[in-house]
Amino acid sequence: MERDRRWGELIGFPLGRIALNITLKPIIDSWPFLLKALWITVSLSISSMLLGLVIGIIVGTLRTYGGRLVNAVLGFYVDTMRSIPLLVVLVWTFFAFPLVVGRSLDAMTAGIIGLGVHLGAYVAETIRAGLTSVRRNQMQAGLALGMSRLQAIRTIVLPQALIRMMPALGSLFVIAIKDSAIASVIAVPELLRQTQIVAGKTYRPFELYTAAMIVYFLLCYPVARLVDRAYRRLQRLGSS
Amino acid sequence: MTFDWNVVWDNLPRLLEGAWMTIWLTMVTMALALPGGLILALLRLSPLRLVSAPATAFVEFFRATPLILQIYWAYYVLPAYFDIQLSQLSTAIVGLTCNISSFNSETFRAGIVSIREGQWNAGLALGMSRAEVFIRIILPQAVMRVLPALASTWVSLFKDTSLVSIISVTDLSYMALKVRSETYRILEVLTAMAVLYWLMGYPQAKIVDWIHRRWKVVE
Repeated sequence: MERDRRWGELIGFPLGRIALNITLKPIIDSWPFLLKALWITVSLSISSMLLGLVIGIIVGTLRTYGGRLVNAVLGFYVDTMRSIPLLVVLVWTFFAFPLVVGRSLDAMTAGIIGLGVHLGAYVAETIRAGLTSVRRNQMQAGLALGMSRLQAIRTIVLPQALIRMMPALGSLFVIAIKDSAIASVIAVPELLRQTQIVAGKTYRPFELYTAAMIVYFLLCYPVARLVDRAYRRLQRLGSS
Repeated sequence: MTFDWNVVWDNLPRLLEGAWMTIWLTMVTMALALPGGLILALLRLSPLRLVSAPATAFVEFFRATPLILQIYWAYYVLPAYFDIQLSQLSTAIVGLTCNISSFNSETFRAGIVSIREGQWNAGLALGMSRAEVFIRIILPQAVMRVLPALASTWVSLFKDTSLVSIISVTDLSYMALKVRSETYRILEVLTAMAVLYWLMGYPQAKIVDWIHRRWKVVE
């Protein structure tokens, strides 16, 4: 490992000797490469969140209204995803799943599936909590107006539940962005993976990893704040 | 393709050794992150901006960046640029503890803030000092309130420990991935890894649900 201490040495610094010799050159040189990686991180997070939302809305709704057997079976899926690390889900999806189905999967697809299936369980729990929080008479009112159960769920209960669950879904999206970094383990060319490559080539881990850290922070922090603000605006729509 | 589950049985002792490391890491990190989180929460609640601002920055930073990157950063940057020599295991514990402390601090802060002002006043009126009121009245109530949230964090931590395998800490996922590359029995070994995690994690998830039902805050 490189130990370049040409300048900036402070004797007696509480953390030991600190030697920083920062250069932005490796980042500037590999700028397009890293920008592309950032784009993959963004699209991976968004795709897996969308997949998670689809799975979560279906599973959450079925668990709430589908009767005991359906609830038990889907509950098993949810609790399994809650108990297995995402790393394990991703590694299994990428390396073992193709052996089961006999078709190879590219890393990006495996990443989206693994992240989405894992996230879906958490979305399902959120949606279920949202649906149960909407009062029963809302459903009954819908049925009394001659709607089918599905119609009442789709047009009355679910929209209210979704708005109520906005902050929770927003934090799940932040988690999706952060978790997309774990896909680096199965070689999805996303930001962390490509940062590792550049860091390895240029022997500049400090600059590269710090830059990646800042970029992730700039992605996640505004999303968290934005969700808070959107929630405060939409809040009255979700009250019943 | 043919399956050879003997690979799993033959390597089970190593996998179990890894599983023990996973549990040990979870316990050690939580033992450090509970006081860590409480201290951060108190710092953040301080009326002095000079105290609360750095604590807030620390917490927000660790909550808004991926844990896996934090671990890499600690592993590659601390020794090379700050001359801090830590073993892989210590690096893992430091990374996990900073991360989980930040999450715990938000939990504790919410709990402390949720206790009504009247409780403070009542304690002070009885002649207790502020520290006494906090330790004997506010904190016990706050902890009971946030117990479900802490339990959820416990399970996320249990799952997150798998990420330390990237810096070769010999936890369950590291051991399993190692056995996989030695034996090329990909499906069997990876499935065994998932099953072992499931066997440990599933009961924990169920206990968390029970804690949520038992100690739910009803206003």
